[in-house]
Amino acid sequence: MKFFNLRYDFDWSIPFREPYLGWLITGVKLTLLIAIVTAIMSLLIGTALAIMRVSRFKFLNIPAKIYVEIVRNIPGLFWLLFFYFIFPQLLPFGLTDKINQYAYYSVVAGILGLTVDNSAYVSDIVRAGILAVPRGHIEAAVSSGLNRLQQLRYIILPEAFRTILPPLGTRMIHNFKNSSLCMAVAAPELTWATQQIESITFRGLEVTLLATVFYVTIALSMAMIIIRLEKKWKIDMTSISKMRT
Amino acid sequence: MEFFFEQLANWKFYLIGGFPKYPLTGLTLNIVLAFLSIGIGLSFAIILGLGRISSRWYIRHSCGACVDVVRSTPLLLIIFWFYFFLPVIGAKLSLFWCAVISLSVYAAAYQAEIVRAGILAVPKGQMEAGLSTGMSKPQALISIIFPQAFRMMLPSFVSFFNSMFKNTSTVYIIGIVDLTRTGINISQLRPNRIYAAYACMAIGFWIVCYALSFAAQKLEKRLGILDYESYKPEICREDLVLLPLPKAVKRFLITQK
Repeated sequence: MKFFNLRYDFDWSIPFREPYLGWLITGVKLTLLIAIVTAIMSLLIGTALAIMRVSRFKFLNIPAKIYVEIVRNIPGLFWLLFFYFIFPQLLPFGLTDKINQYAYYSVVAGILGLTVDNSAYVSDIVRAGILAVPRGHIEAAVSSGLNRLQQLRYIILPEAFRTILPPLGTRMIHNFKNSSLCMAVAAPELTWATQQIESITFRGLEVTLLATVFYVTIALSMAMIIIRLEKKWKIDMTSISKMRT
Repeated sequence: MEFFFEQLANWKFYLIGGFPKYPLTGLTLNIVLAFLSIGIGLSFAIILGLGRISSRWYIRHSCGACVDVVRSTPLLLIIFWFYFFLPVIGAKLSLFWCAVISLSVYAAAYQAEIVRAGILAVPKGQMEAGLSTGMSKPQALISIIFPQAFRMMLPSFVSFFNSMFKNTSTVYIIGIVDLTRTGINISQLRPNRIYAAYACMAIGFWIVCYALSFAAQKLEKRLGILDYESYKPEICREDLVLLPLPKAVKRFLITQK
C-alpha cells in the first residue's frame, strides 16, 4: 500500500507570476503594517488600562476591569467581525456612508479589532509587571518627593517593562500571528492573498507553503530579538530581593 | 431590543442548532471541538514534551523544531494546510475531522510547552530519589514525576482550554457551522436582526469563557502551587528543637533562618 501518493505536482511559477506576485507583496506589506500598528496601539491602550486597574479610584478601576473581563472572554475573531459589520452602523448616518465608500475600511476594521483584543491581554501583563515592582522602590520614590505620575514615569513603568518583557514579547508574536484573522473581513493581507490565489488557480499548497515560511521566519526572529533584549535589560533579581529586606 | 429578546428566546438554536434531526451546530460544536482537540493534542503533547527534555540531542532538537514551527504558524494557516493537504495525500475526511486534526496539531504544540514546563518545575531531587530507590527512568517518570507535574500543570491547562475554546471560532472559515457561523448566517439572512445575532454570539462565548477563567482562578488558588519548601532538606525550627544543642547555638541558627 502506498502511504504517500501525492496527487499534486508543484508548479513554482505561480507565486512569481503577475498578478499573484503583486497580491503576495501587498499581503506581506499589509500583514507587517497591521502587526506593527496593532502592537503599538495595544501597548499604549493596554498600559493605560493597567494603570487604571492598579489605581485606587473606583471610577478608573472598575471600568478598566469590566473592559478586560469582557474582551478577554470573547474570541478575537468576534471583535474583527464586530468592527467590520456592526461598528459602522452604530455611527451617525453621515459617517456610515463615508465609511462604506472607503475602500480600505476592512484593514481599519482589522486593526481596530485586533487592537481591542490584544490590549486586554497586554493590560493584564503590564498590570502583573506593575504589581511585581517591589514595595520598597515605590516607597523610596515617594520619600524622594516624586508625585504619582513621576513615580510611574521614572520608577514603576521602567522596572515593570523589564520584568514583563518575555510575556509581552510572546503576546506580540501572538498578535502578529492573529493578523492572519483579518482575512475574515477580507483585508487583503497575506493569508487572504494565498486563499485568493488558491481559489483562482486551484494551487494552494505552493503559496500556503511560502506564507507559512514567511510567518515562521518573522515569528522566530521576533522571538530571537526578544531573548536578546531580555538578556540585555535583565534586572539582577538577587539585588532586588536584598533591597526588599 | 425586541429582536434581542426574540433571539434570546431562540437560545436553543444558538446552542445546538437543529441537533437531533440535523448535524450538531452552534455553541456545543465549539465545546466538542475544544474537548476533542485538547484530548487528542494532549496525547501527542506528552510525547513531544518528553522529547523536548530528552537527553539525546537529535530527539530534543527535532521535537523542538516541530513545536517551534507549529507555534509560530497562525492557526488559520494550519487549518488551511490540512484543508488543502489532506485531499492531496488521498485522505478523504469530513470538514469536522479536518478541523479537529488541525486544532489538535495546534493544541499539541502549545500543550507540549506546558507539559515541559510542568516536568521541569518538579525539583530534580525527586527524579534522583526515584532512581536511587531502584526505579527505572520510565517508572520514576510515571509514578513520581507525572503526578506532581500534572498537578502543577492543571491551572495552565484550564486557561489553555479557555484560549483553545476561543480559537475554535476560527474554524468557521472552512465552513463549519459553529456559533460564529450561526451568528453570521442569521445576521445575513435577517439584516434587521444583525445586532441581536451578534449580541447572542458574544454572550454565548462570554459565558463559557468566563466560567472557565473563573474555574482556572479557583484551581490556581486551591492546588496551583505545591509547597516545595517542605521537600527541601533544610533545617527548620521544628527540627532544631529536637537537636541536642546548646540554647545559644539554636537561637543563632533560628535567627539566621
